[in-house]
Amino acid sequence: MSDATIDQGATRWAGKSDTEKAQADLNFGNVPPASERDQDDPEVRAGQEARLRHVWAEPKGWRYWSAVNNTEVGLWYTATSFAFMLFAGVLGLMMRVQLSAPDNDFLTASFYNQVYTLHGTVMMFLFAVPIFEAVAIILLPQMLGARDLPFPRLSAFGYWCFLIGGVFVCGSIFFGAAPEGGWFMYPPLTTQERFSPGYGADIWLLGLSFIEVASIAAAVELIVGTLKCRPPGMRLNLMPLYAWYVLVVAGMILFAFPPLIAGDILFELERLFNWPFFDPERGGDPMLWQHLFWIFGHPEVYIVFLPAIALLAMIIPTFARRPIVGYSFIVLAAVGTGFLSFGLWVHHMFATGLPAISLGFFSAASEAVAIPTAVQIFVFLATLLAGRVIYSVPMLFVSGALAIFVIGGLTGVMVALAPFDWQAHDTYFVVAHLHYVLLGGMLFPVVAGIYYYWPMMGGRRLSDKLGKIAFWLMFIGFNTAFLPMHWSGLIGMPRRVWTYPADIGLELPNLISSIGAFVFAAGFVTVVWDVLRPRKGEPYAERNTWNAGTLEWLAEVPDEAWGVRSVPIVSSRYPLWQQKNFIADVDMGRFYMPDAEEGKRETMVTSVLDAEPLQCLRVPGPTFMTFWAAVFLGAVFILATFHLWTLTLMTAVFAVAAILVWLWRGTALQPEKDEKDVGLGLKLPLYKSGPQSVGWWAMFITMTGDATAFVSLVFGYFFYFTVSPVFPPPMMAGEEIGPGLTWPLISLGLFAASWLAAIFARNTNSKGAVGTARLLMGAGVALSLAASAAMLWGPYVTGLIPTVHVYPATVWVLAIWAACHGAVGALMLAYCLARSLAGRMTPTHDIDIVNVALYWHFTAGTAFVTVATIALFPLAV
Amino acid sequence: MAIGNKTRDNLWTLITAPTIWGVHFLLCYGSVAYGCAPNENIFQTIGGFRIFVGGLTVVALAGIGFVFMRALGEWRRNGGRIPHEEDSAEVRERFLEFSTVLLAGLSFIAVIYTALPAAMMVDCR
Amino acid sequence: MLAGAVVIWVAVIGLSVFATKIRPGAYGEKAGLRLIVWGGCVFPVVVLTALLVWGLQMMPVLRAEANGPTIAVSAERFWWRVAYDVDGEPGVAKSLPEGGVPSANEIWLPAGLRSEFLIGSPDVIHSLWIPSIAGKMDAIPGRVNRLVVEPTKPGVYNGVCAEFCGDAHAQMALRVVVVSPEEYEAYVARQSQPASVGADDEGFRRFTENGCDACHTVRGTAATGKVGPDLTHLASRRTIAAGTLPMSPENLATFVGFTHRVKPGVQMPSYGMLSEDEIAAIAGWLETLK
Repeated sequence: MSDATIDQGATRWAGKSDTEKAQADLNFGNVPPASERDQDDPEVRAGQEARLRHVWAEPKGWRYWSAVNNTEVGLWYTATSFAFMLFAGVLGLMMRVQLSAPDNDFLTASFYNQVYTLHGTVMMFLFAVPIFEAVAIILLPQMLGARDLPFPRLSAFGYWCFLIGGVFVCGSIFFGAAPEGGWFMYPPLTTQERFSPGYGADIWLLGLSFIEVASIAAAVELIVGTLKCRPPGMRLNLMPLYAWYVLVVAGMILFAFPPLIAGDILFELERLFNWPFFDPERGGDPMLWQHLFWIFGHPEVYIVFLPAIALLAMIIPTFARRPIVGYSFIVLAAVGTGFLSFGLWVHHMFATGLPAISLGFFSAASEAVAIPTAVQIFVFLATLLAGRVIYSVPMLFVSGALAIFVIGGLTGVMVALAPFDWQAHDTYFVVAHLHYVLLGGMLFPVVAGIYYYWPMMGGRRLSDKLGKIAFWLMFIGFNTAFLPMHWSGLIGMPRRVWTYPADIGLELPNLISSIGAFVFAAGFVTVVWDVLRPRKGEPYAERNTWNAGTLEWLAEVPDEAWGVRSVPIVSSRYPLWQQKNFIADVDMGRFYMPDAEEGKRETMVTSVLDAEPLQCLRVPGPTFMTFWAAVFLGAVFILATFHLWTLTLMTAVFAVAAILVWLWRGTALQPEKDEKDVGLGLKLPLYKSGPQSVGWWAMFITMTGDATAFVSLVFGYFFYFTVSPVFPPPMMAGEEIGPGLTWPLISLGLFAASWLAAIFARNTNSKGAVGTARLLMGAGVALSLAASAAMLWGPYVTGLIPTVHVYPATVWVLAIWAACHGAVGALMLAYCLARSLAGRMTPTHDIDIVNVALYWHFTAGTAFVTVATIALFPLAV
Repeated sequence: MAIGNKTRDNLWTLITAPTIWGVHFLLCYGSVAYGCAPNENIFQTIGGFRIFVGGLTVVALAGIGFVFMRALGEWRRNGGRIPHEEDSAEVRERFLEFSTVLLAGLSFIAVIYTALPAAMMVDCR
Repeated sequence: MLAGAVVIWVAVIGLSVFATKIRPGAYGEKAGLRLIVWGGCVFPVVVLTALLVWGLQMMPVLRAEANGPTIAVSAERFWWRVAYDVDGEPGVAKSLPEGGVPSANEIWLPAGLRSEFLIGSPDVIHSLWIPSIAGKMDAIPGRVNRLVVEPTKPGVYNGVCAEFCGDAHAQMALRVVVVSPEEYEAYVARQSQPASVGADDEGFRRFTENGCDACHTVRGTAATGKVGPDLTHLASRRTIAAGTLPMSPENLATFVGFTHRVKPGVQMPSYGMLSEDEIAAIAGWLETLK
């Protein structure tokens, strides 16, 4: 039996004899090609269904946790983010109890600070962003008529990272060790031991860095999923709006999270090793953190908001009983917001004393971003106007969302004006504004989405009665809680205060806010109860219970694990409304891939613009390897928090090993034949490498994110150059300062050589000269290791001490970054060499080396920019 | 990408205009931040940087204008008509052109907004 | 601005109610598109452009050149070090100017003049905010920021720290007293005088015996500590502990004896181990520092 069979499909998890018996029954491998079957024959269909069911079955017993399919992982993801949200909600209520009266002593100052820090952190990092990923992992494949996302194991890995990191961060409060510097973690309050002793800030940084990895993994998955896994015929102009939003938001994650990761690296280097990035006494500047944090932090708001708007864009047409009005306008708004949201970050820094003209640029972009937002609201209004609206609980939450969000948007336009913001900034006015935006723009739509999609997920409709009660409690409670905050902010209540004095007019608004918060919480508990209450006796909802028009409603009730019975040909935006006999054709298996002839999990890959079928992609099945990879990687971050360096290194080795095993067994598998009949006379290849393959795209997208992080570090260098009177600083003790020219240039030469080795290895391999290719890969390993060593040797021999001044520290960071990329590149080339020697990589099956060559393009660029920055730039100034 | 009537639109052409906005924005902010650092002589005028921003704005607007006219022209000439919901590569092309027009419009306004501070403020206070 | 926002909100919500309840299905796609173009594109562009221009033109005006005194404010965990009539300029990689007439936690300003604050911090980021007089300005270590204020109405105003700075952030307040320019001059002249203290004063003896002088300065005496607030004219201020308690002998005694209960997180140690008499003596002496 080949390894491919061992690792693929649910068969692996059944007992040996059972497997053989099942395989005999299901006739795997002996089924005629799909094009030759008669789909009208019930027996044929029964056989196909049995095979599909078997292949996509979720693992049983404790092995359930080895599942990687989007349905299971998406469900865990959603449930976990809601659990974190409830936890953070309780923290919010604790704050409201503390603030309900002046000079209250329900919480101590220190504990209140932990509570508010975790409230913000958990809501943003562990609920708002993950819930997008969670819902998208569930919905996107359904909406695209795909059986799974292209990298199911990556989703599972991301989930486990998220769970481990989240529990670590949240758990800290039970030991009184939670971070207490605010979710924005401004240094020097948080970087210097004298202001923030203990592990709190480290837990925040390392725990969240780990979760950011999960977010980027999900972003890669979702971008490739949207671009390459659409059903045949679903051209860009026919894509469901949700998919457009997913594409935009995942793209934003790719450019927004890496700057924060770069910031985290600098931050943690300062905390752990005393490198003075944010210490003004040694040339550092706390403002750099603010820049990096908000370059992440403002797009983050839109990363949270757009997916929720996307849910509205799915719900509103269904209940307006017509297609959306102004499809192009929504696409404009989504893409436009995605771009403009990167030009807003300094509006969080209006009070930091930057020149007015600089603030002006950001004020301008902050006003401009209101235009696409208005467009989205008016697209919804226009759709409602042109349709005949049926009222329902989801629509109730949609209306509530619009009413609340519009208020948040309008106050947003106000605080975007710097002179107004100088008053409102860091007061309860902003607390009110952001809650109006985030709850109106995210929580209410998500609850609308729960009521809308639950019949699909859970098979039964949620209660109309409870839904209405929940809505009114939430809506009234929310406004009671947050409307008065506008007032308390304007009369002078700053944010993040654990108490306030009596007699300055703050008692009443705060008391009202606290009462409202509990009413709101009661509403949300009602929703939770409605979802969780036992309802065994209730009948199932009808299929497509709201009579919607998009593909996700093909889902059967109760759900079948295969996703779609056959992969449909789409020719309209709302196929269930606009294509005749559509559901029946899908169910009868009259479209593509109605079978799992070889017992493998398969989904279709199509082209970006017009979704022409390109490949029948084998996707991997359940495995615990992703779980172990996440556990070990999590252990690396957790152990580093407590400075247990030996154990950290050991677990790092285990983590790399787990990832390598995962890749070795589960990726770039050689199929038993070159192409496969997927039905309707179409034959598709089973293996593709290069720009048409999903793996190539994943590498490209990942490296784009990686390059963004690198650019953020380079930005740091030039930031210090700009704000320092002299940078690099003048000679210290008469010695020349800097990494010199020799070693960086030698390193650059070696990097270039390893890059060429990777390219030629790829080319020679594909031409069949396997021996030469192996030699080149081996040479590449040696060259890139030498390149990394030379990169570090430069600052080492010239005696740059990173703790002395920010200049040597930035040089070291860039050099280490490049060297790490060289080392990873060496590992990748060694991996390719091993694959080639093991016969898993051949001239025709060369995904590994093609993707590694792509990695090397980016690494060569990284090395070049690094050397240009640290060695050449100082000569030019 | 062939310029003229034969342009094949794709996701990259779609985001050209907002990308121009992004580059313009970063250059404006970067140059002024550099010109004002370390924020000492705050009442000294920074005419040179404002002229730079002005020139940059003209270039950016011209670029976006070109994208706008190109996409609009092709869309019109080929009988583009919303809502672009038919199933053909032709309509998909028209859809991308129309969306490019809208995005170029938004980017045009956003570039003008970005230039306003440089037009209205003369120093680094 | 608020009225405009209310009007827009009512219009949007009214429109959605109209569309769904009052005239469902009466309009076609054309009307919808017209709504998007006019309501979603044209209207916001017009309103936002006007707002932006208005906001931008205000910014340089609010930061105009000063014609009044320059006052250095150093925000420190968790109080305000104030120095009147300093020479200095803003900028990155700078520290606040030395000298001037020292004070703390209470700032006097001349009405009708544009005074200039130079704001910095030796420890973490803070933000100076006097809601009724001006917007905020952050105090950032390694930078000196500038804030111009032009109070018009004499009176006493509250100020707070608006950037989270640690445990006692909530209790880092100050009072701002706006007076006529003449009164302001007189006040600063008074503050520049040393305290009139007899060296054999019982309270002062206790004060130095217990090491208070290691952190606090009382000009005119041997107490020259620089860590905490200058106490030379402590009793002339309206509050103690940076706006936490009103100034009175009892409150002075409470603060000295139960420092951390009054203001958790503050740097000053509690002197609860001293006898009540000792504390009363110190508080009584502090009360004389007018």
